Amino acid sequence: MKNILGTPKRWAFVRNMLIEVVVYAVLLIIYFLAVLRLLGGFLLDLFNNQLIVYAFIGLGLIVTQGIVLESLTSYLIRLLRLDRFD
Amino acid sequence: MEFPIAGVTVNPIMLAGIGFIVGLLGGFFGVGGGFLAAPFMFWSGVPMNFVVGTDVAHMTGKSIVAAKRHRALGHVDIKLGFLMVVGTIVGVEIGAQIIERLESAGNVDIVIGIAYIVILLTISAFTAWESIRALKMVRTDKINVKDAVGFKGLSTRVHGIKLRPMVSFPYSGIESISLWTVLGVGFITGVLSGALGVGGGFIRMPLLVYLIGVPTHVAVGTDLFEIVFSAGYGTLTHALKGNVDILMALVMQTGAALGAQIGATSTRFFAGPRIRLFFSALPVFGAIMVIIRLLTGVGAVH
Repeated sequence: MKNILGTPKRWAFVRNMLIEVVVYAVLLIIYFLAVLRLLGGFLLDLFNNQLIVYAFIGLGLIVTQGIVLESLTSYLIRLLRLDRFD
Repeated sequence: MEFPIAGVTVNPIMLAGIGFIVGLLGGFFGVGGGFLAAPFMFWSGVPMNFVVGTDVAHMTGKSIVAAKRHRALGHVDIKLGFLMVVGTIVGVEIGAQIIERLESAGNVDIVIGIAYIVILLTISAFTAWESIRALKMVRTDKINVKDAVGFKGLSTRVHGIKLRPMVSFPYSGIESISLWTVLGVGFITGVLSGALGVGGGFIRMPLLVYLIGVPTHVAVGTDLFEIVFSAGYGTLTHALKGNVDILMALVMQTGAALGAQIGATSTRFFAGPRIRLFFSALPVFGAIMVIIRLLTGVGAVH
């Protein structure tokens, strides 16, 4: 803990982390409104009529979103230089 | 926001917030966090049959994010992770079947629940004792804090078991260990997961450190890598039973992704014994959640 919280870099680290959270939150709200609402009807239809297809598409969506979000958060971390606070 | 598959309206920001907290813990400690997310989801109004399946689904995505981050930091032993997956998946299936058979004979939830609580509290006490000892050793013996382990006797004995085939994990600094030991660790955590419907992260991570002798940071990353596959498998099986609301899992994953990144990145600022000391509190929370489950049924999957 002393390594990071006991140095003058502490506040820069916390500030940049907060900036990342705010930027990310804005992107999330856009995502909720634009993408997930559109997906709702399609997924409900699959869930009710083709459960096997729903299961595989669901897993595919989770994995794809995981990879995309990892890239996005990594980009934000690099952009805000959060990876250089060591 | 309405989630038509589960048939409920839940605030998506709250779901993302739950995901964030669970992701933060998962990224830092290498656990799935299902023991924490499930009760919160239930208390948010999500029907019980969707809680477990949806939680496992979001865990898959969160673990991808955290494992990728740990991989970038050099904390994932891919070979060890794949071997653990084999043991875990077999264990999950056998655990679920054992429970099905025992349930027909009587109420086993209480017996298994109490056994699980005892295991969790033992792990917590042992990890706390060991990590404090390791930190003292760092001060008195002037050894490198990153490598300090206060109790190496168990892993030394395990490495002495010459039950063929023997395998090596150079990435984790392990020259030779019986394949059956590695599969056994995955199997034991899998059986517990299958029997209790929880991820085995808070059992697997200490076993990797104390039994197999993996450095703490690598144990955290490898555990997350393993969870990607075991949770992915769980997502499929739960989705085929109609127990997964993918929309809800996607929303939770958005928060979990950020939390997992921050949690994984934060491990760089802490030495192994300190991570293990913080970790020792987690099984206590896990035990409390099992007690709540036994008393109220919240989080039960059977």
